[in-house]
Amino acid sequence: MNDEVGGNQRRARFQALCQSLRPDLLRFAFWLSRDRALAEDVVQESMLRAWKAQDSLLDEGAAKPWMLTIIRREYARTFERKRLQTVDVDELVAKEEPVLATDEDQNISDVRAALMKLPDEYREPLILQVLMGYSTAEIARELELSGPAVLTRLCRARQQLRAACGEDTTLDPQT
Amino acid sequence: MDHRAYRSAIMADPHDRDSDLRAHRDACAECRAFTEQLLRFEARLERALLVDIPSTAVVLPLARHLKSARGPRRWLAMAASVLLGLGIAGAVWFSLPQSSLAADVVAHMAGEPDAWQRTDVPVPDLELNAVLLGAKLRLKPGAGIVSYASSCDFRGYKVPHLVVQTQSGPVTVMVLVHEAVRKPKQFDEHGYRGTIVPIPGHGSIAVLMRDLNGESGEVERIAARVEDSIDWTP
Repeated sequence: MNDEVGGNQRRARFQALCQSLRPDLLRFAFWLSRDRALAEDVVQESMLRAWKAQDSLLDEGAAKPWMLTIIRREYARTFERKRLQTVDVDELVAKEEPVLATDEDQNISDVRAALMKLPDEYREPLILQVLMGYSTAEIARELELSGPAVLTRLCRARQQLRAACGEDTTLDPQT
Repeated sequence: MDHRAYRSAIMADPHDRDSDLRAHRDACAECRAFTEQLLRFEARLERALLVDIPSTAVVLPLARHLKSARGPRRWLAMAASVLLGLGIAGAVWFSLPQSSLAADVVAHMAGEPDAWQRTDVPVPDLELNAVLLGAKLRLKPGAGIVSYASSCDFRGYKVPHLVVQTQSGPVTVMVLVHEAVRKPKQFDEHGYRGTIVPIPGHGSIAVLMRDLNGESGEVERIAARVEDSIDWTP
């Protein structure tokens, strides 16, 4: 009986933790996959995996990076399982139009469309930095890259985004 | 540092506070203009990444179903746990102190100790404006010296985190547009004294001090002054 109560409390606590992280995780998964339905599946599956592996989370304060790593692995597994075909980014943009549209202003929608078309190798470090607040060293660790490689990718990511959004890039460095 | 090295570094991280970068920016008008342009784009990028998220409760399966979870049975197990899960999660969500808004604000402060320095050096206008622009607000002249400004991740959103220098010492302000509260809430925990006050139509603001020797009501008075200093832009 006591075990059951303790189990319920533990689950509730973990559930509350997942709930608080959910917006960040879903956004991360969405920008990783560029597919809202796939992002929701990946996050749900990742939370189940996290629940089963929760004993490996020693510090609740580190839950977010821990979950992000699980999500990246789960997304990679999904890719392997489904052997996803090469995607047509224009189709992706059209499919996710409801997510990309905003009633704020067209500038935001333009950036979202440009993000969808950004190559994975540039988009992922950029999401980790801007959306998740990762430092260069943390990105390097997560993506198993060197620090300079991360900086180069972040620089190129912004160059490509700015160019795609019609920004003045005449002063941009050539990398 | 030459222009190319500066621009490569600042494009990799527009919020980089490296002193060499700052020195080059201060000395080079062209790179300063480049950085301002970049920070304006960065604010757009930050807003663009915050796609709307449907509010659905997280559901975890009952432990006894986990061992045999396979295919459709796992989803049945999850469905079976929905009601229990929602009930417990709801209760915990509102009752656990560590998940309260005040506790989250304090936890965030503890993660940024460098922001608390007593100084009369304001953060550069372009950095401050980039932070405020992203949250659609301005500070009126005379709001005080803002010595730190950052767009921080907080509960799934980017929020302005400012440190304002006052006669009572550094005061941290977080503008929580996405956190509506019904009434002011004072808190005093882990060495921080603060208040979270509702801002009708704009969520709330959290104001914290670390100097606990101040007079009673000091935080509330500062919070009122901060609130008066904010201009909300359309």
